[in-house]
Amino acid sequence: MLRDDTSKYLPLTESTCYIMLTLVEPLHGYAVMKKVEEISKGTVKIGPGTLYGVFTLLEKEELIVKVKEEDRRKSYVLTPKGKNVLMNQIKRLEIMTRNGLSVIDML
Amino acid sequence: MAENTIRKIKWFWAWQDEQEEAWLRSMSQEGWHLSSVGLPCIYRFRAGEKKDYVYRLDYQTFPKKDKQEYQQLFRDAGWEYVGEMSAWQYFRKEVKEEEPLEIFTDVESKIAKYKSILAFLWLFWVVLIVVIPVRGISIDDPYPWWGAIQAVRVFALLIWLFFTYVIIRLMLRIRQLRRL
Repeated sequence: MLRDDTSKYLPLTESTCYIMLTLVEPLHGYAVMKKVEEISKGTVKIGPGTLYGVFTLLEKEELIVKVKEEDRRKSYVLTPKGKNVLMNQIKRLEIMTRNGLSVIDML
Repeated sequence: MAENTIRKIKWFWAWQDEQEEAWLRSMSQEGWHLSSVGLPCIYRFRAGEKKDYVYRLDYQTFPKKDKQEYQQLFRDAGWEYVGEMSAWQYFRKEVKEEEPLEIFTDVESKIAKYKSILAFLWLFWVVLIVVIPVRGISIDDPYPWWGAIQAVRVFALLIWLFFTYVIIRLMLRIRQLRRL
């Protein structure tokens, strides 16, 4: 049953997945943008319009929660539900990556 | 009005936001920088040094408190807030190397922007559908307000057609983005 609860969110878009990955610790919007660029080695850059939309949606779905507000910057962190969704996304990606690695020599 | 400002009135459809952005950029390249926007379709420009500003439009409605957070996020990312016209939020940034020039970095969020406009349009569209066929009043039974009611109905019908057109064009724009 727990699976059904999260499956409607899957698969996450690449932006959403990276944003959630950074929110294992509380971060505000701009810090998320910087962190995503860094951990994705520059492959994923997130604009403020995209980020604001993802934050709004994730907060509405209670996958992230606001923990702090300072100088008009709100910090968010994953909720247990959000962690669950992210965990299932990672499992999906792991399966895909293994499949990719198994054929990589044939490419 | 001071000599160093001009006012222009120009109509852009909701699916022409990229054309609008390009027009604002070309105005800045000629030394006319957008200073404010307002209804109906009024753009105010201030004269200045010629600069290459890119303009970007978002569509958002929110309470004042959320708006400050929203604007702060854009400011942090190097975007200057210029103004708002019926939920359209105008931002600009000077073009420099290494500076990201997009506020939407994936197709999903571009589509989400048009979908939030659509959500608003559908609401009006449905309301008008309910209003237009006001219960039939027979012509045999002359009613003092009959003419006025007919006029309102015709007006509502025209608005409804207008909304239908905008909805179709926006849906086509979304389909076009999906194919990318």
